[in-house]
Amino acid sequence: MRATAQWLHKMAADSEPESEVFEITDFTTASEWERFISKVEEVLNDWKLIGVSSGKPLEKGVYTTGIWEEKSDEISFADFRFSITHHYLVQEASYKDGKEELVEDALPLSMQDLLCMDNDFPPRAHCLVRWYGLREFVVIAPAANNDAVLSESKCNLLLSSVSIALGNTGCQVPLFVQIHHKWRRMYVGECQGHGVRTDFEMVHLRKVPNQYTHLSGLLDIFKSKIGCPLTPLPPVSIAIRLTYVLQDWQQYFWPQQPPDIDALIGGEVGGLEFGKLPFGACEDPISELHLAATWPHLTEGIIVDNDVYSDLDPIQAPQWSVRIRKADNPQCLLGDFLTEFFKLCRRKESTDEILGRSTFEEDGKEVADITHALSKLTEPAPVPIHKLSVTNMVHSAKKKIRKHRGVDDSPLNIEVLNTIMLFLFPDAADKLTNGSEARPSTSRNNPPPESEEYNLYSQFKSAPSDSLTYKLALCLCMINFYHGGVKGVAHLWQEFVVEMRRRWEKNYLIPGLANGSPDLRCCLLHQKLQMLNCCIERKQARDEGKKTYTSDRSPSGSSCDTGKAVVRSGGDYQKETEKERGEVGKSWESWSDSEEEFFECLSDTEELKGNGQENGKKGTKEGSKESANLKPEGRLHPHGKLTLLHPGEPLYIPVTQEPAPMTEDLLEEQSEVLAKLGTSAEGAHLRARMQSACLLSDMESFKAANPGCCLEDFVRWYSPRDYIEEEVVDEEGNRVLKGELSARMKIPSNMWVEAWETAKPVPARRQRRLFDDTREAEKVLHYLAVQKPADLARHLLPCVIHAAVLKVKEEETLEDIASVKKIIKQIISHSSKVLRFPNPEDKKLEEIIAQIMSAEAIIARARSLKAKFGIEKCDQEEEKEDLERFVNCLLEQPEVSVIGAGRGPAGSIIHKLFVNAQRMTESSDEVATMTSLDEELKRSGSSDERRLNLGAVADFPPPAGRELILRITVPRPAPYSKPLPQRMYSVITKEDFRLAGAFSADTTFF
Amino acid sequence: MDEDILTTLKILIIGESGVGKSSLLLRFTDDTFDPELAATIGVDFKVKTISVDGNKAKLAIWDTAGQERFRTLTPSYYRGAQGVILVYDVTRRDTFLKLDNWLNELETYCTRNDIVKMLVGNKIDKENRAVDRNEGLKFARKHSMLFIEASAKTCDGVQCAFEELVEKIIQTPGLWESESQNRGVKLSNQEEGYGGRACGGYCSML
Repeated sequence: MRATAQWLHKMAADSEPESEVFEITDFTTASEWERFISKVEEVLNDWKLIGVSSGKPLEKGVYTTGIWEEKSDEISFADFRFSITHHYLVQEASYKDGKEELVEDALPLSMQDLLCMDNDFPPRAHCLVRWYGLREFVVIAPAANNDAVLSESKCNLLLSSVSIALGNTGCQVPLFVQIHHKWRRMYVGECQGHGVRTDFEMVHLRKVPNQYTHLSGLLDIFKSKIGCPLTPLPPVSIAIRLTYVLQDWQQYFWPQQPPDIDALIGGEVGGLEFGKLPFGACEDPISELHLAATWPHLTEGIIVDNDVYSDLDPIQAPQWSVRIRKADNPQCLLGDFLTEFFKLCRRKESTDEILGRSTFEEDGKEVADITHALSKLTEPAPVPIHKLSVTNMVHSAKKKIRKHRGVDDSPLNIEVLNTIMLFLFPDAADKLTNGSEARPSTSRNNPPPESEEYNLYSQFKSAPSDSLTYKLALCLCMINFYHGGVKGVAHLWQEFVVEMRRRWEKNYLIPGLANGSPDLRCCLLHQKLQMLNCCIERKQARDEGKKTYTSDRSPSGSSCDTGKAVVRSGGDYQKETEKERGEVGKSWESWSDSEEEFFECLSDTEELKGNGQENGKKGTKEGSKESANLKPEGRLHPHGKLTLLHPGEPLYIPVTQEPAPMTEDLLEEQSEVLAKLGTSAEGAHLRARMQSACLLSDMESFKAANPGCCLEDFVRWYSPRDYIEEEVVDEEGNRVLKGELSARMKIPSNMWVEAWETAKPVPARRQRRLFDDTREAEKVLHYLAVQKPADLARHLLPCVIHAAVLKVKEEETLEDIASVKKIIKQIISHSSKVLRFPNPEDKKLEEIIAQIMSAEAIIARARSLKAKFGIEKCDQEEEKEDLERFVNCLLEQPEVSVIGAGRGPAGSIIHKLFVNAQRMTESSDEVATMTSLDEELKRSGSSDERRLNLGAVADFPPPAGRELILRITVPRPAPYSKPLPQRMYSVITKEDFRLAGAFSADTTFF
Repeated sequence: MDEDILTTLKILIIGESGVGKSSLLLRFTDDTFDPELAATIGVDFKVKTISVDGNKAKLAIWDTAGQERFRTLTPSYYRGAQGVILVYDVTRRDTFLKLDNWLNELETYCTRNDIVKMLVGNKIDKENRAVDRNEGLKFARKHSMLFIEASAKTCDGVQCAFEELVEKIIQTPGLWESESQNRGVKLSNQEEGYGGRACGGYCSML
């Protein structure tokens, strides 16, 4: 097996048929070392790195703009595992096609790259790219992170292996071996071409030897390393980059503090703040600024830089580029709010457990107390209810809590609670006691309805941004963060539920909810509140009806203007179905007639005096003759066009029962019940029956409103297309319209006919209620009461995310940052996918929150940078725009070049920043008398002058990094050898000193 | 539940009363035609499994009553539907003219905005046609719907209508994959890996 591999390598490498070699090679005793080499070769072969490398010269800056990729494999030397990785710049395919003639003895690409000056100091690249300018290389490094090749002999062994593998395969890609500990980033390597070889060597020291701190010393070592016999040596080309770090933004103090909560609740308009989410960073999200002053093309002798003097003044550098270091995860308010709120979702405790176990045991009594107290207040009286009601609620809660955990342990401070309750229920403040007057109030600062922003709630399945639910979510978010965390949340929720019950009992509509049935596009909690409001509305209407009943008046008040079909609530269905499964064939009575519940109980007894109950009961089977004598009841208005077929009276549209509002969970329950009946004919029949309650109710109302009517009359109103009219010529030759029921309505004993026969003339108000508001309200209130803080957080998380997105959007419009716009779009599309379904995965929610946080951090960074660069203070329009562009680039690119270097507008600001920072450090170090800053700056024109002024402080601190690249093409090792690229890179930082040399030699003529 | 079923889809059939919604459904599910089919009360429900491009999909089809008075009840069932078949009667112009109302209703009550819509002109077997095929075509194009003319009586176009609709839904990944993925997670955490795999390219759209 190994022999074949070796064989194939040879074939591939030399491409010369070796078929004449019949010698048997014995690999059975091959050493570990040999095996290692062959594995390396195998990998190089697999990756097709064999043979002459070709490619075009590199474009300027391609190391930054292009895509880098890597491929990895694992090999081992005995039982020591190495990873072998190929790093390469992705180049267009046409480069690799190599249409141009391959010059056999051309230098390997890597050697050419050593001299390329267009990609020096790439802002983001593998260190070997930065040190050697390579576009492609292979690294062999210990696979385990803490493994290292330490001993010199092992290092040499590895290097020899590399050398042999390269020689065997003819691979022209440089191959490196990582030695010593990984953090030292020590590499040695080799590159081989036809008759040429480059050795990559490295020196890494903790401390810089004195003679290498400047250019002249480094030139000396470079030349001695080359050891070129030529005299005079051609001039060495030099590139220098000095990096200065700015950490103290002295003139700029990050102003944002977490908002002072006591200040919030002190003011009377505290509610306004409760409706808002905070935004921005609490610490400077920009930690450092790195300025790189670069001299890209210098030639030996042009500048002087030695241990006593240096021409390298950053102000004079032809190129400046800047990068910023962002603080890792800066603490940002919005993000914190979201994260903390999301943590609530994982709490397990119930409200009772948090507030004290026995709270609810005494609840009945407590509630009775409140209602008693409130009933005094809520009698129609010219007393504004709000203060009293709110404080009363709070007091009751306080009392409860006091009982169980002592005075000071109350989760929510009373003023906070007051402020929140007023914010949530503004009707308590600006309305007098008559709760029925209370209508949803819209706050002013919201986007107009119909706008895209306003409708975001349907995508997020949250709630409209002016709704009670949305406000509640924001309040809970705030309380969770500032006011006692989960305890505060539980406390507010308890108060909220008490308030809901009070409103139900006192017939006060809940403010901040759209009228009508629950909006299925909103979150379930919002639907539940809407449902409760529906119940309150019905109850109000009924109570109204009791007080001021007139026979014409619609029982459910003015809102019942259009006749509508009705469906019963889901709960009803379930009950009924269970009952019906046993007794499918039961008469209509089982659905329609029930003596105990009427739509309007009181007026029913009143009516009895006038109309007599007997009529109602008799009417069923007596036929139309007798019922024609009945007094019509429950008319809404005349149809206008139609008259009854037989008596010729105008056809009246009856008052009907309103449709039952449904929340999505009820609906789901109901459709499940309907679906469970199956698809058989029987199932379908049963399903139709279950849904016929509303049909029957409408028929009864119709009969009551139109005495003497027949099914045809009903169908003409209810399903006009099922009454077919035709012009026919009668016996006397007159054209007359003749109408009849459609075929499907004439099917014997179809459900319509059956229902019609069963229906008694009973006006809606005396029918059994199809929607039991009392029961539904109790169900909702119970549902609310059993929600744990975690449930609540899950219900409301979409609202909080919705609010956060709006907040980020609002802040973004002030800054106009393209990347944030993009993130917002992503957040919206992502959220609308995740939030629409019940029980979204935590992981996905976390992702959304992380996206929002990243958008916030970007905006905070932009603000920080804008303040630092004084964009607001800039007067000149053009300059301001340039600066803005510059700041935006800083945010989005790893490194930005400064137009005009030290002399441009951005450059001079950066200069000032450094000068200020220098001044501050100096003055804190020593109490020195200083010339004023301005004076100093005036003089800063000439560096020499400054240098002479010994007492003055330098504008820049000593460079944090000092990089040099020295390059030359000379014959090596002998004068008659081929001239080959030589390169040495050096970097000096505070922590270390590194020399990375690539020295090429002619292997043929030496 | 069958193992090889890719997904369960909820389909709605809506349109004016008497246009033949229940007949279309009956033709599709039972391949029969009953000229005397009673007017639907509320909603009805049928199930059928079909195979499109080798993918088996279970269809839960909700048939609705067309009468205006039932409309306060039926839209509640629009929730969560992935596809809708909007039917009109080619012999009754008024049923065609009411289509806009139905689309509005869908817009209002549908919980998703990417629901696939198909317009079906029914009863093409009848002679007294009142709506030209081109009009239907134009309407469908205007509202980005699929369009087909059909007859529940002669069977024309019925199978095709349902198949096209299902195929379109399956081609719209966000519509159904996310749901199955969601369901997978609800079962247990161990399913998570499977769910992640099933969502495939969808997740990367992040």
